Amino acid sequence: MIATELERRFGDPWDSGNPTGHAAVLAADERGETFAAGEQVLDAVGLNAEFVPVDLGGRLARLDHLIQVMRPVFRRDPALGLGYGVSSLIAAVNVWAAGDASQRRRVADLLLAGGRVAAGYHELAHGNDFAGNDLSALPGPDGVLRLNGRKEVIANAGRAEAMVLFARTSSEPGSRSHSQLLAERADLPAGAFRDLPRFPTSGMRGVQLGGLEFRDCPVPADTVLGVPGHGVETALRSFQITRTVLPAMATGILEAGLDVTARFVDARMLYGRSLADMPHIRSILADAFVDLLICECLATVTARSVHLLPDETSLYASASKYFIATLLTDAVYELSRVLGAQFYLRDGEYGIFQKHLRDLPPASFGHSARATCLGTVLPQLPRLARKAWRGGDAPPSEVYRPGGPLPPLSFDRLTLSSGGRDSHSAALTAALDAPDVPADLRRHLLVAANELGTLGLECAALAPRDLTVDARPEVLELPARYAAVLAATACVNVWLHSRDRSEDFLADPQWVTAALRRIAGRLGRDPGPRPRHHDEALAADVLARHRRGGGFGLFGL
Amino acid sequence: MHGSELAPMEPSLRSWLRERVAHYARREPADIDPSVSLTNYGLDSVYALSLCGDLEDHLGVVLEPTVVWDHPTIEALIAHVEEMLGGSSRRMDAG
Ligand SMILES: Cc1cc2nc3c(=O)[nH]c(=O)nc-3n(C[C@H](O)[C@H](O)[C@H](O)COP(=O)(O)OP(=O)(O)OC[C@H]3O[C@@H](n4cnc5c(N)ncnc54)[C@H](O)[C@@H]3O)c2cc1C
Repeated sequence: MIATELERRFGDPWDSGNPTGHAAVLAADERGETFAAGEQVLDAVGLNAEFVPVDLGGRLARLDHLIQVMRPVFRRDPALGLGYGVSSLIAAVNVWAAGDASQRRRVADLLLAGGRVAAGYHELAHGNDFAGNDLSALPGPDGVLRLNGRKEVIANAGRAEAMVLFARTSSEPGSRSHSQLLAERADLPAGAFRDLPRFPTSGMRGVQLGGLEFRDCPVPADTVLGVPGHGVETALRSFQITRTVLPAMATGILEAGLDVTARFVDARMLYGRSLADMPHIRSILADAFVDLLICECLATVTARSVHLLPDETSLYASASKYFIATLLTDAVYELSRVLGAQFYLRDGEYGIFQKHLRDLPPASFGHSARATCLGTVLPQLPRLARKAWRGGDAPPSEVYRPGGPLPPLSFDRLTLSSGGRDSHSAALTAALDAPDVPADLRRHLLVAANELGTLGLECAALAPRDLTVDARPEVLELPARYAAVLAATACVNVWLHSRDRSEDFLADPQWVTAALRRIAGRLGRDPGPRPRHHDEALAADVLARHRRGGGFGLFGL
Repeated sequence: MHGSELAPMEPSLRSWLRERVAHYARREPADIDPSVSLTNYGLDSVYALSLCGDLEDHLGVVLEPTVVWDHPTIEALIAHVEEMLGGSSRRMDAG
């Protein structure tokens, strides 16, 4: 397994002499440099192949596997994860989704040879409003497309051999006026473009963020990806893949945070006893651990949904991105409180924590802000209220079986709207009828089910203006609440489908009861008194996992 | 193209679409010109997807979610739907 191999090569993070340990990661970050020793490890395992579909000679077959490989990279250094690979992935999925055979071949060959592709979407003037972008690719008098405009804050803009550029290819209004272009740096005439200076950042400081400015820059005829004018559609389909996998990979940041905090708690003596003995501290460790488990469950179910329910993915990918990013942000902040002043120090044993804390925010504002993800879910809700939530078929049970077999990934079947379908909602209702559900779990489950009922009433009545960026702020809480219900559905169903495997951590109802309790709290419901024995058991598990040096994930790695 | 057989569907679908577009655009149906691009009424990509969903439910058919992007006027939408449904469209039209 590549993930195990990566862990082995990265070595003990706490060994100060390890060239890929925390001390080395931190030193590279202080210098604002790409983490060269880390990149060498990734080169050695040919990590780029993870981003290239199997039929093109790579290893990309399943999104859950891709997540599993990348999580240890994010755990070690999020800037390495983003800067080395994920930015190429964001670009490449556009090519896999829309490119023709020769464009796919070119990008596959480039990545398999260790090259990079930059994802040129963002322009400072337009942020998340990418359809408002100004970079244009319009034909000159000779019929050749010419680029004019800028792309800014782009990872690897200066060192990527190729780039996918999102550009306006028609001056008409509407959603058929943009296209992605696949341009290779070597094909562009010098003088027609220039590299912008690096953008310094407070986190992800090892990522080389640059930009490009084009002036009447001609591009070869075979540059447009897919049907000209279909760029917005290609982006919205491709983003379903990346919104699914990016937050899932970023759960590695919370894992690292748990590891650092556990080490601190283990070592710290106050008032003549270990910090680990304070109930307050244990409750924070337990909560952060449970949040991680929720994130992993939701991430895994979402990734499996891309394979099994591709025509509903527009809903799940954005809801998950929002919810996971929110949980990660809150959980890492809570852990920082345990570390006290130690989390604020930039070096020393626990200095790595503040680096991870600074590296985390792009997981929530980058590659579609949380609010933008809610904005993707929101307009779909009224139709769900009229159709799916009134009853329907539960999804195939494989969607809730982590690690189980999956059909191939099909980019063609990703669509821009779920069309009123939401199979997971039926699985929530079905879980209420499952036998032998412990009473406290069932109580939290009812909270989620009632929430879906309330959402149905509120969403059916939404006025048109509330479906767009003009929505009232309280209306954006509807997709947020939907995301919480989806998370509860994912957790309870993963448990229901694992409980027959008695030796497994997943089979024990304790984690899922704690998870649904947390989610009920997020929904603003009083989940009742904290079961003290849960905190103790979960915090003890965190400390034990830290001492073993393994991961904190649900699924072993 | 499909002859007089379709004639009764068209006016009702047209008035239904004008009513829906007016609803999203927060205008009177009488103000909606079926030959004008919906973007002129401020109907962005989100409304276009919602309108597609409404149309699917209204006609009981499955359409590409991007149908309004590709056929951005009421006239163009009607022509597309008629072509797609052929002779069966009159039965499907609930409006
Ligand atoms: C480390 C790093 C790496 C990056 N790498 C790349 C890269 O490789 N390629 C690339 O193209 N870009 C990259 N970016 C840019 C990134 O994509 C943008 O930061 C991101 O798109 C968000 O845009 P913005 O920050 O300008 O926010 P804006 O869109 O200006 O957002 C401003 C505010 O408006 C809110 N908002 C926006 N839309 C909505 C909405 N629909 N509803 C409600 N509220 C909304 C936001 O939540 C935010 O609070 C990178 C950025 C960083 C920091």
